[in-house]
Amino acid sequence: MNPLKAPPGTKIALMGNEAIARGAIEAGTYVMTGYPGTPSSEVLMTVHEFGKGLDIYAEWAANERVAFEIALGAAIGGARALVTMKAPGANVAADPILSAAYSGVDGGLVILIADDPGPITTQTEQDSRWFAELSKLPMITPSNPQEAKDFVVIAHELSEAVNLPVILRTTTRVNHTVGPVETGEIKPPKKYVKFVRNPPRFVRAGMVWNRERHAWLLQQLGKVEDFLSKYGLNMVEGSGSKCVVTEGVGYEYVMEALSKLGLKEGVKVVKLGLLYPFPKRFMSEVLRGCDEVLVVEELDPYIEFKVKELAYELKLDVKVAGKAEKLLPEVGELTPSTVLKAMKGFLHLDVHESEGVERLEAPPRPPPLCPSCPHRNSYIGLIFGILKAGFRREEVPIFGDIGCYALSVNPPINAIWTEHSMGASIGMAMGLKLSGFKGPVVATIGDSTLFHAGLPALAEAIHKKVDMLVLILDNEVVAMTGHQSTLTWGKTELGRETKPLSIEEVVKGMGADTVVVVDPYDIDRMISTVKELIRKPGVNVIIARAPCALHAARLYGVQKRYTVIPERCKECMACIKITGCPALYIGEDHKVHILVEDCLGCGLCAKYCPFDAIVEVSKG
Amino acid sequence: MKNMNILIASVGGQGGLTLSRVIALAAVGDGKSVRTGETLGMAQRFGSVVSYVRVGDEIHSPVFDPGDADVILGLELIEVSRNVHYLRRGGKIYTADEVKPPISSSLGIAENPKKSDLISRVSSKVKEIGGELYVIPAREIAVKAGNYRAMNMVLLGAFNASYSLLTDESVRKAIYQLLPGRKGDISVNAYMQGKSLNLKDYRKK
Ligand code: SF4
Ligand code: SF4
Repeated sequence: MNPLKAPPGTKIALMGNEAIARGAIEAGTYVMTGYPGTPSSEVLMTVHEFGKGLDIYAEWAANERVAFEIALGAAIGGARALVTMKAPGANVAADPILSAAYSGVDGGLVILIADDPGPITTQTEQDSRWFAELSKLPMITPSNPQEAKDFVVIAHELSEAVNLPVILRTTTRVNHTVGPVETGEIKPPKKYVKFVRNPPRFVRAGMVWNRERHAWLLQQLGKVEDFLSKYGLNMVEGSGSKCVVTEGVGYEYVMEALSKLGLKEGVKVVKLGLLYPFPKRFMSEVLRGCDEVLVVEELDPYIEFKVKELAYELKLDVKVAGKAEKLLPEVGELTPSTVLKAMKGFLHLDVHESEGVERLEAPPRPPPLCPSCPHRNSYIGLIFGILKAGFRREEVPIFGDIGCYALSVNPPINAIWTEHSMGASIGMAMGLKLSGFKGPVVATIGDSTLFHAGLPALAEAIHKKVDMLVLILDNEVVAMTGHQSTLTWGKTELGRETKPLSIEEVVKGMGADTVVVVDPYDIDRMISTVKELIRKPGVNVIIARAPCALHAARLYGVQKRYTVIPERCKECMACIKITGCPALYIGEDHKVHILVEDCLGCGLCAKYCPFDAIVEVSKG
Repeated sequence: MKNMNILIASVGGQGGLTLSRVIALAAVGDGKSVRTGETLGMAQRFGSVVSYVRVGDEIHSPVFDPGDADVILGLELIEVSRNVHYLRRGGKIYTADEVKPPISSSLGIAENPKKSDLISRVSSKVKEIGGELYVIPAREIAVKAGNYRAMNMVLLGAFNASYSLLTDESVRKAIYQLLPGRKGDISVNAYMQGKSLNLKDYRKK
């Protein structure tokens, strides 16, 4: 069943992000954009997979700020827009988002910011609820896939009612949870209506205007709680003077704990769907009926502070506990058992907890670079090139960036020294060099990351004449987040023709001193190019270009594979120690084997086997 | 019904996510409540992957804790051993007879356990809590059904034969929704083969 086209009233199992995509369609969103980032990527991907033939714009942008600006431009003309990003993406888009709070919008503008407690796939455990405080934009949060869908529609209604962008804040356990969702009515897409020149509203160069708009913003925020009251985003279940205040997936853990504790009454569960502006009217009434409050929330004690503040304002004698009291952890995601434990303590109950067996030790299996990954060749080529040029490995810092290639940090390649934030490799390499570091520095950055935030840093390095080697790992796709389009594609996912940008032209145009394109599968050439350029003054750029092996295998199949002839294998392990390819393993006979279905045929292991034990097997 | 917690332990790329999705779709098809918790995104291929699937009348949390799994479905034995502490007292494990050593083992950073050792370690843990362990030649059966990739469906069949959690009709529909055409045929075939196994033969005591 197509989740975007299913008629209203259909009950389907949807992932939170699929539900958000459905919600966007129901709300009549016309412009959908964003930058891929776990756990937010599947919203646009769902539209790409199931949205063919719908009259909508759904395309990735170069980065989150550009995406937001596109969505904003649409919304000030009256269209409905949605922009998606992971939490660090909100930092990238912060500048235009904060100004947008002053200009406001006419068409609904919903900003999906997906936080990642744990963290499971993110550089920090950023709590983006503070972002609402900072930007003064309304923020709502769902607890499950059904709400994820419904809240997109509500967010659009709210956005148009108060003329402000609305933040839909989620966490991984909502984005990536599958649950039953009942579909609603689909509104026709809302496109451009009108855009009239209005400098006090849209020009932030006038300070008097800015003060006026700030006052306007506060006045609009004052309407939010009232407007939303009819949607029941904030709710109370159960009764009693012991109150548990919660939000997001925390609510689901609380309900789970209550059913485990066998409690139906005696506890009041207060679920907040509106996070900002804090629903003071609703919460004042609730708090007056509570003697004790436990706050259950992911990440920072955000609601906890708000509740404590409100209790102080209302001069209520109520005990509020949560993270500050160490009942729940601030680090890592909540689990049903951490919440159950906190509830037991709060309710002074003693219940037998489930018991299993002790853990078994198992060899760690972090995600490696895939078999045949071109990045493996690029980094091995880089390291051998550095050695060939006469340097020791520890003399040449390799700055990394965000993408699959960061997996090169693990053994046996042990390549990158840093991985910081999108595009940071070049700027940080430059800073080290400028601070007096005498040796060569290398910045390694992927194609999409380069367009996202690497280009300004590269311009800076070229302009400031800082000597460095820049290795652009161009696998022609945003691989890590699930193979999205880049600016070098000639077509978007929905089939609209685009102008493919050329990385070499862009870099040459900026004035890089050398620009070479190398096929990383030609590892000897990779090595000799690095050896030649690592000592050369100026900003020298190697573009290592080969398509993501996994993506290519999915699109075009696998042309050849390799296998080991056991009699020839001398168990030297050179193949494994150099490549770390996960298709290679040591069997119970102590020889190396290749899981033939996993091998994608790069031939790198065969190249480094001193005994010619690894041979090609033809297709089929 | 009592809520049922299923943990799927696999190596990225083996079809653990598809398996969890098939169960979720089929459960909703049967009018049950369901939640799954997955880890997606990062290049998960060849990394450890765990999916939580919960089916019942009223489900809230998408995940559960160690000691709470009624069933573990394993596509790889190292991953099963990594997650055996999730099994509850009296719980059951259905796992493929498959070992894929990770790079850490191949590099000698971590041990490279033998298949027989893995099975006996898991089996002794399962015994401690009065559970049951079934080690199924899922690859062989899947290959007979048409493709080794359908190992996940062999396990689903074996599991559903004992628990009757899902109707065959809903499983079939769910499979075809995710895997249309020939892939779907093979998967349904593999599921039926898994269902008709004589499980007693695969029980490890
Ligand atoms: S490099 Fe060749 S001989 Fe050495 S372990 Fe690998 S396959 Fe065997
Ligand atoms: S050829 Fe060797 S290194 Fe390349 S994918 Fe196959 S097993 Fe891995």
